[in-house]
Amino acid sequence: MPIITTRDLTMRFPGVTALESLSVGVEPGVTGLVGANGAGKSTLIKILLGLQRPTSGSAEVLGHDIATGGAEIRRRVGFMPEYECLLPDVTATEFVVHLARMSGLPSSAARERAADVLRHVGLYEERYRPMGGYSTGMRQKVKLAQALVHDPSLVFLDEPTNGLDPRGRDEMLALIRKVGAEFGISVLVTSHLLGELERVCDNVVIIDGGKLLRSSAVASFTETSGMLVVEVEEGRDALGAHLAERGLTVQADGRTLVVQLDGEETYDAIRDGVVDLDLALIRMEHGRHHIEEVFQR
Amino acid sequence: MSTAIHDIGYRHYDGPRQKHGQTVRALYVHNLRTLFGLGRGGKAKVIPFALLAMMMLPALGDIAIKAVVKQPDSFPMQGYGYILNPLIAIFLAAQAPVAASREIRYRTVPLYFSRPVGPRDFVAAKFGAFTTALLLLTALPMTVMHIGFLLTRQGIVEAASQPGAFRDVSEIPTVMEATREWAFGLIGALLLALVLSSFALLVAAYMPRRGFGIAAVIALYLVSNAVVGIAQGIALTRSAYDLAGWLNLFTPFNLVYGTQVALFKADGGVIAAPPPSGTGIFFLLFCVIIVAGSLAALHARFRKAGA
Amino acid sequence: MGVITVENVSRWYGNVVAVNGISMTIGPGVTGLLGPNGAGKSTLIHMMGGFLEPSAGALKIDGQDIWGHPEVYRHIGLVPERESAYDFLTGEQFILAMARLHKLPDPRGAARRAIGLVEMDYAAQRQIGTYSKGMKQRIKMASALVHDPAVLLLDEPFNGMDPRQRLQLMDLIRGMAEQGRTILFSSHILEEVERLATHIEVVVAGRHAASGDFREIRRLMTDRAHVFSLRSSDDRALAAAVIADGSATAVRVTDQGLEVEAGDFARFTRLLPRLAKESGVRLREVSPSDESLESVFSYLVEK
Repeated sequence: MPIITTRDLTMRFPGVTALESLSVGVEPGVTGLVGANGAGKSTLIKILLGLQRPTSGSAEVLGHDIATGGAEIRRRVGFMPEYECLLPDVTATEFVVHLARMSGLPSSAARERAADVLRHVGLYEERYRPMGGYSTGMRQKVKLAQALVHDPSLVFLDEPTNGLDPRGRDEMLALIRKVGAEFGISVLVTSHLLGELERVCDNVVIIDGGKLLRSSAVASFTETSGMLVVEVEEGRDALGAHLAERGLTVQADGRTLVVQLDGEETYDAIRDGVVDLDLALIRMEHGRHHIEEVFQR
Repeated sequence: MSTAIHDIGYRHYDGPRQKHGQTVRALYVHNLRTLFGLGRGGKAKVIPFALLAMMMLPALGDIAIKAVVKQPDSFPMQGYGYILNPLIAIFLAAQAPVAASREIRYRTVPLYFSRPVGPRDFVAAKFGAFTTALLLLTALPMTVMHIGFLLTRQGIVEAASQPGAFRDVSEIPTVMEATREWAFGLIGALLLALVLSSFALLVAAYMPRRGFGIAAVIALYLVSNAVVGIAQGIALTRSAYDLAGWLNLFTPFNLVYGTQVALFKADGGVIAAPPPSGTGIFFLLFCVIIVAGSLAALHARFRKAGA
Repeated sequence: MGVITVENVSRWYGNVVAVNGISMTIGPGVTGLLGPNGAGKSTLIHMMGGFLEPSAGALKIDGQDIWGHPEVYRHIGLVPERESAYDFLTGEQFILAMARLHKLPDPRGAARRAIGLVEMDYAAQRQIGTYSKGMKQRIKMASALVHDPAVLLLDEPFNGMDPRQRLQLMDLIRGMAEQGRTILFSSHILEEVERLATHIEVVVAGRHAASGDFREIRRLMTDRAHVFSLRSSDDRALAAAVIADGSATAVRVTDQGLEVEAGDFARFTRLLPRLAKESGVRLREVSPSDESLESVFSYLVEK
């Protein structure tokens, strides 16, 4: 049962077409949305929230039609914008509690859930300080907290790792996985860092130039390529020649050798080749595809 | 006692959710609290409460005089807001941005509109809250003054009944008369609050940059006052009394007080040129147009900000 | 030529030391300047570009001081991170203005070439204010290329770009490096640096933390055991052999395979295939699992 379905969704602005006949179904779980910056993805989110009427086409979110059931959708969906949207003179607690009330929670529930959610995203004493003094990482956490506080069934996270350094990025990605796996909330996350999406998402929807390029499970993008990538400290070429003599298809690539996997014996041939030539084996991995390759065609 | 590790993982929420009306009311209360700086630190409370205190002074002074000196002369009831208009203008300038600019400037509006709260609710809550705040500023002192009158009336009557008193008992307003003045005063205060709040919110919403909202409101207030004042002065020297009366339309405090003079028999002597007779309805209509127009434009502004 | 040398450079703003005694050499090819936010990368790049004076030390290009010598600016192009304020100009007008500013002999030709190089011919007649983020970035690149500099400095060039734009820009940069130019770009996104840079310089809190190839840097991190993920036909037998040999400091058996911590990288990599062969175990996967730029980076940042 898809949580989002679009049918021929089109959005035209004067001068630019943001979406062109987009028909896609998003399954429960963590789904990545990649593609054209700006126009396409934020427009799509606005349309799915029922805040923007598409030029043509239709869509359903959590079983509600965006044209007629907008208010109901917004009750059950959380949204984490990409841009700065926090008030500087208000504390995180106050902010999240207020927005919880705006989502319809009675005041005691709002307070309790706000406190809990802030703990889940990792904000502790900081939550009592005005947000003007927060670091980027803390801000992103508050934005995520307000998207979760009313227990939505689906959250839209727009570039959640923007502006974060590697450690902050890891934290946020772990949080997103937690939201999807432990909290049981479906996630639609946009990012232009494909490596991140490969780590966090079950499925990926790729939009290019407003059109759907591909929508499948991440696993299908990152399938093994039927090749083995071998790296040795030195003697790469000698090893390559040695393996070629034994009938394997070998190609040099950067500092590695790419060897075609012709069956189980290939593994042993490489291992023994390394031993016979007295080399040091650093790596032997199955070559995998990457989401990025879709853009290279 | 048995040992256990308790589950403090994420909990879903299956409890009751409020009806839409309750949510809008919560937004209204939130905005009203913000206007008086509640929940925003000490600094935010200074201006609103200081102004409220200053608005109360004439009323308290009035009671003091009545109680001590026992004279029936009153600070004008219906003209209360008009006379203290500089203070109200300061409140408008300082607080309209607090009500209307903050969420726009910091791009918080989309966080509301991605929830079951829309531009209509936003406008309703903010308009309601700001009107309430302005009403407090005027209606509260007026009511206090009226209560003070009721309490001190007996003493004044007795003083006037003494031989050689300055005043005659007939000069003292009856309870009925005074209460009617007070009621009209409240209506006037409400009208003033509605007109000022809708327009000031509009100006602030369209000037969200820091300081611009305040400056714009003050500028509009000062300029319109000055221009109308000068124009009326000129008109009056040429004995164009009717024209001078019409000019009241173009500056907000005069517009509302003029309406009060025309419809509720407020004291026309307080302003430079009372409106021509029979134009009360027109003045009232003008007020309604301003309120409606401002709210419509405000709605459009918030809708755009939430996009 | 185009070699930039940074000689013990510091830059402070009052008590805040943005750059603290950094020395490095940037030569032809693509170098990634890596560091957390606020590490001083932008400051360093602006000093290299001659936009900022060092508080101490010297920056030179091919032996000549950069600061205070406008003649060397001809050899350096800088693409800053911040948005420029030329929204009302068309792309072509902007690049033409830059060409004229550099007093190039054929400004129109140079402008056209630069615009062509970044593949912005189709939008050159439109106002910059109408460009997407990626397009603005590319026109900024054109402005830095119009005088055909030997050295190109890019401050967070991939910020906010979508995958296609990023691939295009990476190809562009690689192409220019192949022409012999010296290109330095800064980033805090490891993924990008890993793909593009042949050489990295790591800056942490104003200090120069490491330089070189990141895998080599990892080998130099001898106070940390190297972690390998192994999958084989008989994990337990392999584990036993590895433990018996003694070159591993820890071995963990998981349902994804073995995780081995090896203190001596050189010894272990030579030993593993031997042990496997002798025990008759088929190796299926050998992965140095912390050889990513990420683990190198977090190690350096933690120091």
